[in-house]
Amino acid sequence: MAFAMRVKVPPNSANLQEARHRTFDFFRAACRSIPSIMDIYNLYDVVNPSQLRSTIAAEIRKNAHITNPKVIDMLLFKAMEELSNITEHAKQRHHIIGQYVVGNQGLVQDAANKDENVSNFLKNFYKSNYF
Amino acid sequence: MAWALRSAILGHLRVPVAVVAANRSSLLAPLWTTTVRSMSSHDDHLEKTQVIDRILDIVKSFPKVDPSKVTPEVHFQKDLGLDSLDNVEIIMAIEEEFKLEIPDKEADKIDSCALAIEYVYNHPMAS
Repeated sequence: MAFAMRVKVPPNSANLQEARHRTFDFFRAACRSIPSIMDIYNLYDVVNPSQLRSTIAAEIRKNAHITNPKVIDMLLFKAMEELSNITEHAKQRHHIIGQYVVGNQGLVQDAANKDENVSNFLKNFYKSNYF
Repeated sequence: MAWALRSAILGHLRVPVAVVAANRSSLLAPLWTTTVRSMSSHDDHLEKTQVIDRILDIVKSFPKVDPSKVTPEVHFQKDLGLDSLDNVEIIMAIEEEFKLEIPDKEADKIDSCALAIEYVYNHPMAS
């Protein structure tokens, strides 16, 4: 029911401008569903709506360097799928907290106290293959 | 039965009708009773100062913004150094604060504090 309401039109964006517009539309849809997300997963004591907005913006910004409109469309499709999963309660509270709340502030591997004498090389190695 | 009695009485009574003078104002009640409509739900507009204060609070509490630079005339992207996604985020925060829903076309034009204040102040549903 919820997923049917927010299916985005598949035809590819003609240019970067349209892809940009779709990104902003997605961001607005996500922000508008934040109150319902906080209600479903009972996040009132854990996080503010403004923190969730910042988190969503940060996720979008991770891919801000992409210029190919088709790639952007694909990323938006995945983002819409993720948003639909979250709003139709297909995820659980610990998923939301682990992926979107704790991740930006105190995720275990980012926490300063753990492994503080481990080398930077190892930290980069754990993050990704290319550094 | 009371209705029949009433109509019977009315048929026989003559009630003098007061003639309204032509130059009398159309408001039969004094002006002060009509400017303050205490039962109306359309007069609870926000004060401009309230709108300005609330919007400045929203912008100042945005994590990427330096609170000392925020004035009612500041431009989000030029003065505060934010990008367009931050712009959209601030507008969404304003929507949440004032319980509005701003359509996309209008939201694209809101680029600065001054425009935001003006938009919210003129919106009939702001609260």
